Amino acid sequence: MSESSPHLVVRGVSKRYGPTNVLDHIDLTIRRGELVTLLGPSGCGKTTLLRAIAGLAQPDAGKVELAGRDITNVPPHKRNVGVVFQSYALFPHLTVAGNVAFGLKVRGMAKREIDTAVERALSLVQLGHLASRRISALSGGQQQRVALARAIAVEPDVLLFDEALSALDRKLREEMQVELRRLLQEVKATAIFVTHDQDEALTMSDRVAVMNKGRIEQLAEPRELYLRPASLFALNFVGLSTRIAGTVLAADRGKVDVQTKIGRLSALGNFQAGSPVIVAARPEQLRISERGEANSAAGRVRSVVFQGSRTLVEVDAGAGESLLAELSGRDGTIPRVHDEIRLSWPVTETFAFPMEAQA
Amino acid sequence: MMTRAAIVVCWVMAIALALFLLAPLLVIAAASFSPTPVFDLPLTGASTRWYGKIGRLDGFWPSLLLSLQIALLSTAISLVSGTLAAIAIARGKLPGAGVFATALVSPLMMPGLVLGIALLQGFRAVGFTAPWATLLVAHLVITLPYVARTMISGLARFDFTLIEAARTLGCTYPGSVLRVMVPALAPSFLIAGIFSFLASFDNYPVSIFLADVRTKTLPIRMLQYIEEAPDPTLAALSTLILAGTVILLFVSDRVVGLHRMAGTSD
Repeated sequence: MSESSPHLVVRGVSKRYGPTNVLDHIDLTIRRGELVTLLGPSGCGKTTLLRAIAGLAQPDAGKVELAGRDITNVPPHKRNVGVVFQSYALFPHLTVAGNVAFGLKVRGMAKREIDTAVERALSLVQLGHLASRRISALSGGQQQRVALARAIAVEPDVLLFDEALSALDRKLREEMQVELRRLLQEVKATAIFVTHDQDEALTMSDRVAVMNKGRIEQLAEPRELYLRPASLFALNFVGLSTRIAGTVLAADRGKVDVQTKIGRLSALGNFQAGSPVIVAARPEQLRISERGEANSAAGRVRSVVFQGSRTLVEVDAGAGESLLAELSGRDGTIPRVHDEIRLSWPVTETFAFPMEAQA
Repeated sequence: MMTRAAIVVCWVMAIALALFLLAPLLVIAAASFSPTPVFDLPLTGASTRWYGKIGRLDGFWPSLLLSLQIALLSTAISLVSGTLAAIAIARGKLPGAGVFATALVSPLMMPGLVLGIALLQGFRAVGFTAPWATLLVAHLVITLPYVARTMISGLARFDFTLIEAARTLGCTYPGSVLRVMVPALAPSFLIAGIFSFLASFDNYPVSIFLADVRTKTLPIRMLQYIEEAPDPTLAALSTLILAGTVILLFVSDRVVGLHRMAGTSD
């Protein structure tokens, strides 16, 4: 099978729990070797979608295909998926090696092959020296690795991670994100991560699916997701932004002029005149400048937050609106609180979203 | 050094209490080896002849058999039904699960005497008088709370994601229960079984109301012996039961650890 052909295909999958549409006609296609994150707030359906792929939740409608096989009605034990659970779900009555060997034993593999496979999986996660330990004797990070080794050992068609890193502390989590991505690329695994952590999504994945209310709002590469959010929800969920409400005055070939409480702003977007919209821009696009070019607005600095490589400056633009600018040290002087400044930003980096879509 | 003094006092108290609890058992064990029918300290020698007399006690074997039958059967039935009930309570979305759990465990808090009279009256009222069967049902009431309590707490600590993990690794659902849930709950099963067996085997206050002349459990028979002829044969029998219990506890300590049985830690 070639690198680019679809490996996992989710077609029109829906799932209801009582009156709630947990999954609402989900379509998702993942290529072999791709690392995809399902990102969204709790209750957005991301875990249910993962469970539907694993066979632990039966969709009401739709199809799931894995490695060219329709697995919609295949029970989980015949799907050849690997799952890393949030709680790790390691078997407490077995050793580290016993846990990793579990799936291979169930498959009836010969003892010698199992030993080799277990050794290889444990060395991948650098835990070869702990093979005979009891699970309760391991740290959280080590348990996480055992869970990963156990899932990898059976050479699944797809690896599924359900909030797998969220139980680790921040520093360990950030280390694991990088290490896990390297490891998965090394073994050429196809993987789906479920998380509510945008940093994890941007770090780990080739593509990110932003989910909201049982639907995928946007499926894009991390960079595109950040630079070209498809919806107000995607904009809000990933990264920071300045958001100002207004009404469209005039529209012209993908560009709109918007009247806001802090003046006229131009943005990218297709709307009819009179539509209520939210105008938004990423903080690093805003610059201190006295020139009147592009979009600009003035105000009084409300707060200055130093974050190492960057400084976040919040400006009160009046009329209840505020601007958020990210200034790096190279941008010259950083303003102080109560300074009067003018910020400007390019029209091509300003987006307009329909007002009613605000979550 | 107030704290040191306090520690010494605590230790003295603990040792004294342990001696107080163990002393009667030691006396019984010593008496069972007494060479004379009347137990007297200091011992003037040792004899095992009382052990030989146990088997010749009037009605001993039928009573032992009856007690073992009732204890084993009630334990087996309690283990199955108590575990199923515990799963429903710990796992299911049963309305009023808490009330149900309390009701299930409540016989533990009831005086045996009251329970015995109540069961006798109850059975009579519905015309259920077969002694062997009434004993078994009564002992189910005694043993079920031990099993239910132990299994509910065991299941409360059991992560049902383990079953899902086993399924995604290639196990069928029944296979997952067998390979993951049963081994993970094995200590709870063992503990519940031992407690249940002992509670049934040495029960007197409930059994006494349901026994008849031909159907007497071992504790009832033993009390009868002590009224008829208080010689060291009974001490020998008690010592054997004690030894059996110690062996049982020792073996289960090897297997799961006594601290888990006492529920004091994981």
